[in-house]
Parts: sequence; C-alpha cells; structure tokens
Amino acid sequence: MPSIDCQHIRNFCIVAHIDHGKSTLADRLLEQTGTMTVREMKDQVLDDMELERARGITIKARAVRMEYKRGGETYELNLIDTPGHVDFHYEVSRSLACCEGALLLVDAFQGVEAQTVANGYAAIEHDLAIVPVINKIDLVQARTEEVADEMRQSLGVVPDEVVRVSAKTGVGVQQLLDAIIDRVPPPKGDPNAILQAMVFDSHYDKYRGAITYVRVMNGVVRKGDRIRFLRAGAVYEVLELGQFVPRQRACEQLQAGQVGYLICNIKSIADVHIGDTVTVAQGEAAKPLPGYKPLQRMVYCGLYPSDGQDFTELRDALEKLSINDPSFEFSPETSEALGFGFRCGFLGLLHMEIVQQRLEGEADIDLVQTAPNVTYQITTRKGETLEIHRPQEVPDPGQIEEFRQPIVRVNFLIPDEYIGAVMNMCHERRGVQKSLEHLSAARVMLTYDLPLAEVIYDLHDKLKSATRGYGTMNYDLIGYEPADLVRLDILVNGNKVDALSIICNRGDADRRGRAVVKKLAEEIDRHMFEIAVQAAIGSRVIARETVKAMRKNVTAKCYGGDITRKRKLWAKQREGKKRMKSIGSVDIPQKAFMAVLHTGDEKK
Amino acid sequence: MATMGEPAPCDTLFLGGGTPTHLTLGQLTRLLAAVERWFPLAHGGEWSVEANPADITLSTADLLADYGVNRVSLGAQSFDADKLSLLERDHRALDIRHAVEICLPRFTSVSLDLIFGAPGENLDAWKQDLQSALELAPQHISTYGLTFERGTTFWGRRLSGDLRSIEEDTERAMYETAIDTLTDAGFEHYEVSNFARPGHRCRHNEVYWSGGRYWAVGPGAARYVGNTRSSNHRSTFTYLRRIRSGQSPVAESETLAPEDQAREKLVLGLRKMEGVLLADFERDTGFAPHDLAGGAISRFIQWGLLAQQGDRLQLTRSGLMVSDSLWPEILRR
Repeated sequence: MPSIDCQHIRNFCIVAHIDHGKSTLADRLLEQTGTMTVREMKDQVLDDMELERARGITIKARAVRMEYKRGGETYELNLIDTPGHVDFHYEVSRSLACCEGALLLVDAFQGVEAQTVANGYAAIEHDLAIVPVINKIDLVQARTEEVADEMRQSLGVVPDEVVRVSAKTGVGVQQLLDAIIDRVPPPKGDPNAILQAMVFDSHYDKYRGAITYVRVMNGVVRKGDRIRFLRAGAVYEVLELGQFVPRQRACEQLQAGQVGYLICNIKSIADVHIGDTVTVAQGEAAKPLPGYKPLQRMVYCGLYPSDGQDFTELRDALEKLSINDPSFEFSPETSEALGFGFRCGFLGLLHMEIVQQRLEGEADIDLVQTAPNVTYQITTRKGETLEIHRPQEVPDPGQIEEFRQPIVRVNFLIPDEYIGAVMNMCHERRGVQKSLEHLSAARVMLTYDLPLAEVIYDLHDKLKSATRGYGTMNYDLIGYEPADLVRLDILVNGNKVDALSIICNRGDADRRGRAVVKKLAEEIDRHMFEIAVQAAIGSRVIARETVKAMRKNVTAKCYGGDITRKRKLWAKQREGKKRMKSIGSVDIPQKAFMAVLHTGDEKK
Repeated sequence: MATMGEPAPCDTLFLGGGTPTHLTLGQLTRLLAAVERWFPLAHGGEWSVEANPADITLSTADLLADYGVNRVSLGAQSFDADKLSLLERDHRALDIRHAVEICLPRFTSVSLDLIFGAPGENLDAWKQDLQSALELAPQHISTYGLTFERGTTFWGRRLSGDLRSIEEDTERAMYETAIDTLTDAGFEHYEVSNFARPGHRCRHNEVYWSGGRYWAVGPGAARYVGNTRSSNHRSTFTYLRRIRSGQSPVAESETLAPEDQAREKLVLGLRKMEGVLLADFERDTGFAPHDLAGGAISRFIQWGLLAQQGDRLQLTRSGLMVSDSLWPEILRR
C-alpha cells in the first residue's frame, strides 16, 4: 500500500440510536465506494455476530477502510463502527477519539432519541465535525423537516446542513460521501514524530491471538517494529499489520492518521486495554493519550451450576467466553446456599443478559443466576474503604461508618404528555430532578440523578410502559453518594440463603421485604412440610410468608397395568427439579433467585 | 390364550379391566372355559372377577361360581344417585345391594369399589357412602380419590369449567375418614387404597405390589415376565387384528435392570401399609433399601414421613398422605 498523505484520509463514525439504520447505511457506503459488491455482501456486514443481529445492536466496534475517487483524487475513508448501547459507553468514547468526524444519524420517523443526544454530545465533546443525516426519507410516515428541527433544538444542528438519505434505496448516499470529504477535516498528526497510537478495540483470533485495532495519531508503525503498550507496560513485536477492507488485508506500515490492526502474538485479549497508547519499545516514548479508563463493571451477579451440573463445565464455558470479551470478568466464589460458582462483573444489564444467553445457548449450561447488584462502597469505623460486589460482603451495621451507592445521571427523551408519569417513576426511585428541556413542541428531555441500583433492573421497561414505548433513556455514572442502606437477608425455614440477600434503602426495606417474601413464596412449590420464608435486617424479621405443606398427593390406583406409567411419571418429577437448588431440603427454582428484584411498587 | 402354547397353572387369576359381566351368558361361559383350560387355577387359588353391580344376576353369579370364581369385585362407586350420575354410572344403589346379596353366599370374598372426592361432594356424603358399604358387610373395600386424567371426559369437563375438583383439605379429610372408619370396623388397611377383613386381601394384587411376575391376556393388559414389563395394544381392534394375523399384540415393552427392579419394588412395597422388611428385601433383590436411597430414607424418617421399627420400614400416616412426593427420590439412581 503506497503511503498516503493525511489530506486524503477521513476518519469518521456513525452515531445513531438502535434501529435508525446505521448498519444499512454502512452497507450502502461500502457498496457505493466499491469496497464490496452487493453480491459479496451479506446483509449488514458490520454486525457479524449472530446474537447482535438477533438483538439489533452492534456490540463490538470495527473499522473498515474504503477507497473513494473524486475529481482525480483518491481518498481513504475509515469508518469506525461504534457500539450503540449505553452499556458500552466507554468503548464509544474511545472510538470517537479515533475520528475527526461523526455522522449523526436520525430516523426520519422516530426522530431524536436519548441515545442520539447522548452520543451526539459525546461526539461534540470530542471536537468531531458533525455531519447530520436523516435516514429513511423514503418512508411514507417520514417527517423529515420536523426531525431536522428536533436536531436543531436538541443538538444545535443547522437544518440546511442535514443530509437526507435513504440507506435502503441509496438516495442521497453520493451526497453524503461528498459531505464526508468536504466537512470532515483530515487527521492532523506528524508522521515523523514518535509513534503514538490509540487502541480502540480488539478481538480474538484462535490462530493469531489478540488482534488490536489502533488509530495512529503520530509517527509510523511498521511490520517488525518493537512496540510498547504504555498502560499495560508490555512490549511486543509487530508480526503483521494492516487494514480491514472489510476483510483483513496486511500492509507494510500504518502512519499518522490511519486506522488499522496489529497482530503481535498477544495470547490473551485481556492483555489489550481499550484506550491504551502504543508507542516505540526503545528510546523516548510518546506521551500516553488522554481519556484512558480501566474497564468499569457496573453490574455483578453470581452464576452457579444447577443441581447436577458440573462446576468445571461452567468454568470452561466462562473462560471460553471471556477470550472474546475482556469487559466481562469472573472469579470463583462460594455461597453457603449455592455451593461453588462465580461472581461475574458486567458493563451493564444488557451485557449481563448477553453473556447469560451465550452461556446457555452456546455452551448448553443450565445456570442458576442470582439477582444482579451494583458495586457499593463502605467506609468502616476503622477507616477502611470496602468495595462491595455482593450483599454477603456487607459487614455488621456496627462497623459501618458510611455506606455509599453509585449514582447515575439519566436523560429521558419523551413526548411531553408523559412528563408526569416519568417524574413519578423517578421520584419513587429516589431520583433528583436536574433539568427539563423542550426539544420541540412535543418532545422533552428530562434529566434525573438516580441510584444505579434503581436503574439497572427494570427502569427501561418501566419507561417503555409509562410512555407507550415512545420514551428512550441513556445514563452515565457520575459518582458515589452516601445513603441510608441496609442489607436485607432472606431466610428459608430459618436458614439464611446468602444468595438471596439484597442491599436496599432502609426506608424501602419493609416494602421490599414483604414483596420479596411474597414473590418467593409463590415461586417455591409446596413441599411435604411447611416452609417459612422470612425477610430480616440483622436478627429482626420484617416480613414472613408461609408455603403451606402439601396436604394430599397420593396415587390411588397402582395395579399391574399402572406400574410402568406411574414409575415413569414419578421419575420425571425428579427431572423437573433440575433447574433448582436444594437448600436445607427446600427446592428453590432458578426463578426464585430473581424474586428479590421485586420492589413492591408494582401497581395493579 | 392359545399363544401360551401349553396350559400355565396359576395361583391367582383376575378377570378385569372393564366388566367381563357385560358378556352374555354364552360368551361368558366360553371365556371362563378358555381361562380354565389355559390357566388352570392351583388348589386353594384365588380367582377374581370384576363386575358391574347392574350386571349381576343369579345366573351370572352361579355361572362364575361353577367355574371356580371365588372373589367378586363390584364397581359400586357410591350409593348416592346424583354422585353416580355425575360419575356416569348406569346402576343405582339398589343394584349394589342386590348384587352383594347374591354374591355374598356364593363367593369367598366380595369387594366394593368406592370413589370419593367427586365434584360437589362433601365429607358427610362420603361418610354416608362408607356407612352404606359397611352395612352390606363385604369382606373387602377399595376407596379411590377421583382423579382427573388426560383423555377422559372428566378432564375435558374440568377444563371447560363444567366440573371443579374439590379442595385438597377436604379430599385429605375424606381419605383419612375412610381409613379411620374402615379400620374401626375391623378392616385391615393393607395398601394405599385397599381394606380387607382378615384373610380377605386380594392375593392377586399383592403379587403386583411385591414385585412378583404375572402373565396377561387381552387388549391393554400388562404382564411382567422375566425382567420385562410389557403391555398389549390398548385398541381392541388392533389387538384382534394382530392376534388374528399371528402377530404379537405387545405395544410397549421395557426390560428393567436389576437395580431399577429393586427401586420399583421398594416403592410398591412401601405403598403397602405393612411396608418393607429390610432383610427380606435385600435377600430378594440383592439391594439394601438404605444403599439404594439411604439419604432420602433418613430424611423422610426425620420428617416423620417414613418410620423404621427394627427391620421394618413403612409409611407413617402423614407420609401416606403425600407419598407420591417420596417416590421420585427413591426411584432416582
């Protein structure tokens, strides 16, 4: 590949809400630039994991190099794909840091959504040139001009600058390519300076090890160079480098302004840190690039094998999964109730669901999952600071000086008729209102600070039902705040089931306790004996429900012709208990471990 | 029966699974003669026949007795007209009384089947049925809680909301009342649903419950020969077609490993009120109950569902009531 001057490079990304047509637009750009013919293209090449397709979201970023000729000049366009979900906020910010421009894509019917605003502001914060795009203008219900006005209101976009396209039919795509070249500035950077490149993504290849995606900011990296990862402090030799066109294509060097990949015989993807800086191994190193953050897991849960399932099978499956997902972490833990299992950390609830589905779908593991919880901080009387990843770790109340919980700032974008409903929902969750802005005559952005714990479980679902599906939300961790928190324990027949403990606000404890034991009592089948289900704070029981003993369960007729059928029937009842955990002779179904999420504010 | 090849002498015979007494006298005579030829009853053997109370006439009873039938089991179900109609039976209380009067002098044992827990039935009505049965002085009584099973008209009627099952507490009270009333009246409660005056237990059924072997003839009939349990096709038509074309009538067959045979025998044995004698069981099967399901057994003993006295392991009253919940643990390998 001949060296190319920065003036002919454009690095850009597409920021959009889910379903606004990002993947279709990416396909169309690849097609229009001749990077890929229609025949080569599966639908939506950028999302290549089946699960992503099923969920309609892009989980992992990728970068594709396109070549575009205009007026005798050849341009290199690098499209850096960004994850579209809130859980992957940090990854999005690193991808943005690799670009000079962003296509801000909005659906001509759906209009501006919470993620559009969040990602749009993130792009503006990174000083990117914004190319506003309205997609799906071919739709009958398209309200293009109104949406352009919403973009003006919410993001300060000049309506005249909005490129109107239909990624589906190809209308406007040519103009969009021109806009990218004209409006996105070429990268700055000095090819003669010391190598400085940003790691913005990675994936694992079973033959080559970790493949690192970089944007070269300054200098040049060549095949055979020895390079240093500043954060990880590790030195490697570059065995191969290249670009994605969209398949991996090796080249001799990547220079300032270019985007590509490095293969350096890195055994584990966990050794590649997103946001890390690559520089030379010897001599004066470049400065680390700003904005690096270690991965932050927001949500934790326990994963245990069901009765009769193998612990080592689960461990192998988790290991296999983590090879391609460094953002997911797991460490062995034991629970008195559930035995040996793993405490797993996730970027968010969606991430947790994806991991769980992969485990069950790909590895065929029967899991018992405990309710998700956030990370709390405790300062003890002795002045120690504890990070609490699971409720069992909460010390005795007497030892706690301060109990802090993570707070997130949540932006809701909603039609204004639902303001009241959404405000109620936030107040019930101890939210603090920060602002209320009209984006257009009928659309409002409402901002609240809320405890993360109140957000992760069902706030999104609640928002959807409170706004008939029209509301969207986005959140960002802003810090920890002290709160009056307690650990609520659950006892089944007097035995504390550690995996069922939760942390909640003291003021909510009675309501939560009642709701949880009621739900648990419903989930537990009747046994041969009575079962008491209690909620307690310390030694004080605050709620109790009883699962009555089975009164009569006896087969009347068991003669010659009945025996085989009855035996099979009884044996099958044993099978039905597979997805259960026996705790002190009480069979607790998997679903019951999620019962602790019942908040008790469900309205009839 | 001719497929047996040569006559097979039997200790017990049971003509049931429907109502053989529906046959005309001529047909019944042919049946009895064939049974007598191919399955000659040993001296002192037991020969039971199931009968619909309305079918019992003097001549039927005489015919049965002439061929050596010595036990009749009458599908009485109830003495209450409404309950009988709900249960879709075509006889009246009077038919039962009449049938018992005819049978008592002709057969060693007369048994009555009773059903409790019919939709709408209350405890008093059930007590009345028990009293009526006792007044007729049969030697044997079987009581069955009504069950709704897939494929029956009752299942559909309950599904459509036409019938409702009674409360579990009431059903339990009815079952306990039956046990108390009948044992007070001098009956031995010897299996979950069976009560007999001393010396009048159904020996044939006891073969089933002790894991013994038996032959079978007829549509849907089940046999246990060698290590194999098998049953004939349930459809009379298919059964006949197969027999006539010289094919085997067997629809399903299952060969049990020794350990599974033992587990099954343990469950069936525990459904008998006298329970299981541990040493005998181990001698017969090669497996000790505590080796098969020691954990479950000790737990059930601890919860008062099973009791062990010396060498005998048996259900307690509360264990009996929920016994179906015990069996999965014992059957599990």
